[in-house]
Amino acid sequence: MRFLIRLQNIDRRILYVLVAIVLSVPLIIRPAKHPETVFPEVRKTYDTIDAVKPDNIVLLSVSWGAGTQAENDPQMQALMRHMFANNTKFVVMSWSLVGSELSYQSGMHVQADVNKQRSREGKPLLEYGKDWAHVGYKTGSISAIVSGLGENFQQVMKQDRNGTPLTELAATRNIKNYRDIGAVVDLTSVGLMGYWIAYLTTPKHIPLIYCPTAVMSATAYPYLDSGQLSGMLNGVMGAVQYETLVGQADVATDASASSWALSAAHIYIILLIVLGNLGYLVARKTGDRSGGSKLG
Amino acid sequence: MGYLPDFPMALLPVSVHGKMLAVYIFGALMAGAAGLVALMAVPPRYRKIVVVGVTFFGGLYFSLEFLLPHQPVAHIPGSAGVARFANSLTRAKPNIADWAMVIASFTLLLGTFNLFAIHSRAVKKKTEGWYNSLAFFITFFLILIVGILKDSPVSKLGPGAAKGLQSVCTSLYGILFDGFVQNLDATMFSLIAFYIVSAAYRAFRVRSAEAGLMMGTAGIIMLGLVPVGAWLTNWLPSTGLLASLRLENITYWLLTWPNMAAQRAIEFGLAIGAVAMSLRIWLSLERGSFFDRQL
Repeated sequence: MRFLIRLQNIDRRILYVLVAIVLSVPLIIRPAKHPETVFPEVRKTYDTIDAVKPDNIVLLSVSWGAGTQAENDPQMQALMRHMFANNTKFVVMSWSLVGSELSYQSGMHVQADVNKQRSREGKPLLEYGKDWAHVGYKTGSISAIVSGLGENFQQVMKQDRNGTPLTELAATRNIKNYRDIGAVVDLTSVGLMGYWIAYLTTPKHIPLIYCPTAVMSATAYPYLDSGQLSGMLNGVMGAVQYETLVGQADVATDASASSWALSAAHIYIILLIVLGNLGYLVARKTGDRSGGSKLG
Repeated sequence: MGYLPDFPMALLPVSVHGKMLAVYIFGALMAGAAGLVALMAVPPRYRKIVVVGVTFFGGLYFSLEFLLPHQPVAHIPGSAGVARFANSLTRAKPNIADWAMVIASFTLLLGTFNLFAIHSRAVKKKTEGWYNSLAFFITFFLILIVGILKDSPVSKLGPGAAKGLQSVCTSLYGILFDGFVQNLDATMFSLIAFYIVSAAYRAFRVRSAEAGLMMGTAGIIMLGLVPVGAWLTNWLPSTGLLASLRLENITYWLLTWPNMAAQRAIEFGLAIGAVAMSLRIWLSLERGSFFDRQL
């Protein structure tokens, strides 16, 4: 019993080292096992991307940076794999300077990875500019830009991140306005869903897929219920479930490793909370007030 | 209302290329600087009128574009003119987007200017931690120069020199961006995980029934969302009544029923508050440090 009370005053550095170990082991081992459960909103996302017409594009809105890369990047990569497999063209735009660079690197990485497989199968290789494009970083009033690009995509976006006019890229040449956008995907750590719903996707009846960090996802369920969101990938777990659907169930990916790291971390936190509460109960019974107050 | 003129498209931005682009950029910078100087020269009470006016017309554009009918209504005189005006507002949206990006670019410049002012003062006066300010200048110019050289057309230097310079800049950019920016950003965010663990262990105490309910729900959600949750209860059948006791199914029920009801109520409250706040900002009724002291 005294042990439980003493444990409440454990040096926080020990807790920190244990967190690091618990998180690191699955990331080093990289298990390939993907979850068998796929939530309905993830399935709906898959179906929405599948339903995009061949002459339409999917617009990926990136508003994340390195801080949430572990959650948002696997979501984006899984979606890109699906769109490459379907020959669905997509355009990436970024509201974050760092996110612009990271999303471009990710796109090139997925393209190279898919091209290896295509090369083995003798299929035509994917090309930047032909199968997808990146229009770089955009700054300014989000409401104005979102509503403007729906009316005249070429005028608002103008050129890709390398300075090539969009009229010269096969992937973007024919995009005129909202009628050429088959779906919008909001990959975010800051929550831009409201702008897309208010200014483009709901007024113009374009499916919107929401890919937030896990901590933000709880707020999205009313919009899924109302149909204003056509699907959602809930943090890295949404990504790993999506990978199951796109045929990567047995491939060791960043998302699968992260999902097991999360599993380990969640169990660790739950154990700590239980231990902390046992110590609290024992201390309350014995009248010992020595533990459970230091934070940090 | 019999007739409303079209939105003045001629006054809005146009797309230009080549040499004209440089002329336009230079002209815009000069016009922007002149506008700022003129605004600063205006006495504060008149400056306030300018700011209030611009804010009002900015809000008015979006309100009218959204609220006015875009189709003429039968038997209502003047509705054709209103619809034509509403459609001209809609057509102006891409130009408004251009303006929004231009104005935001000025704020980037303003932010950089502020950073330079603060850090140069720190270096000059050698205040505590001045070397951090010096690091700001070094890293700012380093990544700026390397980033520009990496992507710029340097073919004029000759094939060998150009290739060499771009190769060096690409490597340096990789070190600066992938090695520093990306990892430092991720590290700052990752620290949260450590604090959460420590806080959960030391502060999350079941002192009441509500706290117990919260802890139970949080535990179920935490387990149900990760693969281990499904593994813990995969001995239960996947269909039928008992299937609803699987952790992932309880989790999904919690998210789509109690959570959704609560979120919807919060969203309604927030939306009503946002409407009230937006009206106050639009009509410049909101009084803060900007209006009360700065002007």
